[in-house]
Amino acid sequence: MKNKLIILILLITSVSVFGQDKFIAKNAYISFYSSTPLEDILGESNEAVAILDASKGEIIFQALMTTFHFKRALMEEHFNENYMESSKFPKTKFKGTIDGFNKAMLKAPVASIKITGQLNVHGVEKSITVPGTIGLEDGKLVATAKFKVTPEEYGIIIPSLVRDKIGKEMEITVKDIYVPFGQ
Amino acid sequence: MKRKYYILIGLFILFFSGNVYSQDLDALLDAQTKPTVNYATASFKASRIINGHSVEQMKKKQLDFRISHRFGTLNDGAYGLYGLDRSNIHFSLEYGLTDWLMLGVGRGSLNKIYDSFAKFKLLRQSSGEKSMPVSVSYLTSIEVNSMKFDTTRIQLTPTTFAPRVNYFSSRLTYVNQILIARKFNDQFSFQLSPTFIHRNLTKTELDKNDIFAMGFGARYKLSKRLSLNAEYFYTLNPNAKVMETRYYNSASVGIDIETGGHVFQIMLTNSQGMREGTFIPQTTDSWGNGGIHLGFNISRVFAFSK
Repeated sequence: MKNKLIILILLITSVSVFGQDKFIAKNAYISFYSSTPLEDILGESNEAVAILDASKGEIIFQALMTTFHFKRALMEEHFNENYMESSKFPKTKFKGTIDGFNKAMLKAPVASIKITGQLNVHGVEKSITVPGTIGLEDGKLVATAKFKVTPEEYGIIIPSLVRDKIGKEMEITVKDIYVPFGQ
Repeated sequence: MKRKYYILIGLFILFFSGNVYSQDLDALLDAQTKPTVNYATASFKASRIINGHSVEQMKKKQLDFRISHRFGTLNDGAYGLYGLDRSNIHFSLEYGLTDWLMLGVGRGSLNKIYDSFAKFKLLRQSSGEKSMPVSVSYLTSIEVNSMKFDTTRIQLTPTTFAPRVNYFSSRLTYVNQILIARKFNDQFSFQLSPTFIHRNLTKTELDKNDIFAMGFGARYKLSKRLSLNAEYFYTLNPNAKVMETRYYNSASVGIDIETGGHVFQIMLTNSQGMREGTFIPQTTDSWGNGGIHLGFNISRVFAFSK
């Protein structure tokens, strides 16, 4: 009886503490792109962090707003000051699960997937399903996603004066290169 | 009994560890997100509060083209359309050589002054990983008065005259300013600008060559794209009153309107000059008697980064 209990405890703790099934992508890439005839806007960050939990197929992704950089300094200022309100809402976060996940996906070549979860931008949380890919690329576990969001969905107000310069939809691109957690 | 007890403990651990596990991922992510230094950005909308410089400056490879006007005084009355009949203008091009150094050149119609300046960012207000309570910049500028020299001969006695000798150096005014600003919250920023001005040649012997002043500037954001600004320069050693000309401290109120790439600054000020060497020591109009100028600055930023 005692032995069984010890085994049980070991089993549980080994999962939760050692987390052998977790993968991490530091310096994950995220960008958003809006294109209008007047102006193209591209904001990019290479400082996002993502964790993939291979036991459940769960992905959690987080980026600080101030790590986004733009070609024009003014765009960056307006992005933080006027639209994202970065001092109030410092980060954007996604937490979701890969649809129909099985562990073999992580060892197979890159294949299309869908991820369903909660996206939190500008303090507004929405359920979304985004298309993406996951699999081995040059021996590395890589996950990507590309999807569109509209600023208004997340409570970001764009004044009519600049409406023509900012696209109705923002294309979000994400790329995570994972390594086993703890390495 | 013993068996039940073990199962209970087992269940408890299972439940508890499961709980930890699900929170784990969020905590793990937060732990892996690098702590950042949060620099205070946009303490002011533009590189000027109203007349004087703010701690803001152009980032690397960004060019600011500025056009400014100051009209005549409101006490010109209806005959002078409350000052709108008269105007003086200032143009400048200001470029961010690096994120911490901005260079500018300009020309103003008042006294036909050419000017150039350099603004150095010394400290950035920040919180988070590094903490700094204020932003500090240093501004230095040279202004060149290009008005034609007075060539009237100098009368020594009722019958003897000496020719007047003029030097280029007589045209120069030097400005040195330390800008100390704090963005208290998203709405309110305040700035102190201790100023030292040296004029090589003054209008009369009574005018001071060296002027010390303290500038006070503030902005309050009314909305994301509109802010209310105020500015006051207290001259510690004002010029003496010369004949009927009196000198006043420069006081201004204005609003900033931001529209994407432009910032419009509209103000009421008792100063006609738009550069430190003029509006700090040579403000001759007073709010008290309606010597108020309507004016505006327009800033348009061009980006030259890749």
